[in-house]
Amino acid sequence: MTVDSRAEALPRRAVSRRVARQKQAILLVSRVWSWIFLAIMVVFFSIEGTGFFTVRNSQNILVAIVPVLLMGLGQTFVIIAAGIDLSVGWVMGLSSVVSALVIRDLADGGMAVGLAILIGFVAGVGSAALAGLLNGVIIAKLKVPPFIVTLGVSFIARGAAFLLSGGNVVGGQPQALRDLGNEALLYLQRGDETRLYFLKKPDVTGAQLRMLDRILPWPVVIAFVLVLIAMFILHRTQFGRHTYAIGGNKEATKRAGVPVDRLTILLYVMSAVTAGFAGVLYTARFSGGSSIAGDALMMSSIAAVIIGGVSMFGGEGRVSGTVLGALVIAVLQTGLIMMAVEPFWQYVIVGIIIILAVLMDQARDLIIGRAEAE
Amino acid sequence: MFKKLLLVAIVLALAIPLAVPATAQDDKPTIGFLPGVLDPFYQVMEIGVNAAAADFGVEVFLPQYPSTWGPSAQTPILEAMVARGDLDYIILAPVDKEQMIAPLQAAVDAGIKIITVDTFLGDGDYINGPVTFPISYIGSDNVEGGRIAGYALAERLGGKGKVYVQNTNVGVSTTEQRGQGFIEAISEFPDMELIGMDYNLDDASTSAAQTSAVIQREPELAGIFGVNVFSALGAGNAVKNAGLGGAIEVIAFDATKEAIENLNLGVVSMVIAQKPYDMGYLAVEFAFADWRGVTSLPRRVTTGYAVITAENVNDPEVARFIYQVP
Repeated sequence: MTVDSRAEALPRRAVSRRVARQKQAILLVSRVWSWIFLAIMVVFFSIEGTGFFTVRNSQNILVAIVPVLLMGLGQTFVIIAAGIDLSVGWVMGLSSVVSALVIRDLADGGMAVGLAILIGFVAGVGSAALAGLLNGVIIAKLKVPPFIVTLGVSFIARGAAFLLSGGNVVGGQPQALRDLGNEALLYLQRGDETRLYFLKKPDVTGAQLRMLDRILPWPVVIAFVLVLIAMFILHRTQFGRHTYAIGGNKEATKRAGVPVDRLTILLYVMSAVTAGFAGVLYTARFSGGSSIAGDALMMSSIAAVIIGGVSMFGGEGRVSGTVLGALVIAVLQTGLIMMAVEPFWQYVIVGIIIILAVLMDQARDLIIGRAEAE
Repeated sequence: MFKKLLLVAIVLALAIPLAVPATAQDDKPTIGFLPGVLDPFYQVMEIGVNAAAADFGVEVFLPQYPSTWGPSAQTPILEAMVARGDLDYIILAPVDKEQMIAPLQAAVDAGIKIITVDTFLGDGDYINGPVTFPISYIGSDNVEGGRIAGYALAERLGGKGKVYVQNTNVGVSTTEQRGQGFIEAISEFPDMELIGMDYNLDDASTSAAQTSAVIQREPELAGIFGVNVFSALGAGNAVKNAGLGGAIEVIAFDATKEAIENLNLGVVSMVIAQKPYDMGYLAVEFAFADWRGVTSLPRRVTTGYAVITAENVNDPEVARFIYQVP
């Protein structure tokens, strides 16, 4: 009451300044709460969990987030534009199978392994892009809700992946592919003399091998580069600004002369392409293509986007949020195992965090909305 | 004259259907085969089925492989097989021990005899159990398989050390039983300790992440049992990248080509192979025997396991158990 009466007594400009400050504070909290949550988790698990706060575990967590992060990366754009892509899981599987088939057949056919891997990756990501194109065209041109279209394409991708692989894991991959999926940019040799090796894996065996940490494995490096590209596109280009605009108000954006249909198609292609990268990296890591590669992690990837603060109603969100969301899930999974907690708690906790994230989102809208009305 | 002709026609019309079963009795049975899902395990089983079919000169009909594992995918194919009306036996791997009872009862009511392979109905006991209509259940004993994995690991580790299980999903009877058998075997060794079991939803990435975390938590971990291909693949990948290849033994269940590749690469140290070829062959043989009036067929046949290691993988006697589809 006192605040209100004082506010009335203040001049108009002071009120608006106070509201602006309030708004900023709320925005700041809503943006950083999940970072704070992550930090608390890391501190907690470092104290409670055995082996959590180690160089090796930090790298394990980074490797673990790659598929979830990549499937979520394109999804971030799609959800900001008020869409949804339910096909990423099986598109990842399709890309995994296609790349594995191409690499195996080309390498067996006598092609230089490096070139075979490159062509295989292009084919895998290309097959994913094709699925994304199908999504985008039907959504943009035929005006079918994205939920339905991507669900349908998800089944088509699943069928195609199974048909191509015959239900088998596509093995027989060259060693160079396995190295790409499992070797790293840097190597840290711990022990009597700690040494850092760049690119070249030190020639060690036995017990020394256990003191060797891979820093920034290649899948992490590739994912990191893709994240940077996505950040640039979303936050620095006209395409990015239009993505927010479509999510904010599609009709108004269209009236402003933005080619919404073309952008929508591009968005779904992007989503499929990042899922495609997840697929080829799976093939590299496990040196085999599997049609079910992305199935189990698809829901986690959407959870990561939501935890990262991307609004399901569109128009809001950042790439860094999705990175954060993927980290939260991976840290939680790893941390709970290190505390030897019953594994199923992970799902319960992730569920609570998802709901919390959305509540935070809504509360912010509510408070900001009220502040504006004041 | 016309009446006589009509009478002859009627008699003939009645006699023909009566005559058909009489001639069919001398003929061979027609058998349907319905696998659980499209994967190398069932594809090898199909090879066994076809081999027996050729040996006994019977016709085996396989409409299609179910695309996913579950009653909703398997039941429509089963119903289509029953609707054909010409099948005497159906050999199938029921994808659910409860939910497949009713559809199979309908097949039995239509005069078809059932043999289950790999998986079972009810509790798998067709003499005293809740389900008794199938002729026989031919398949591995998964508890036994888990036990074999446990003993094999114990032997490699000299009967001591900490071990860990990577499982797929809760509620899947086969993988649960493998885990259970493994734990039973390990508990017989006082110096061995089970430090936990995690569920990876049949996903290699998740299995790798979980195993990496466990390796960090338990520096003295000596062995891991991966209850199926993806579980072992992820666990083996985590072990190898931690530089612990050879120091932590990883036992894989099911001898797919992928699993054998990982054995050769040192990602896993041992592969437990089931015998799907035997299951398929025996099931056709049983159907044929039943058709010929054999009444003493065993209601349960366990087909056993082969243990494949890097040392014996090139021995043709062992290598033939790899699930290899030409």
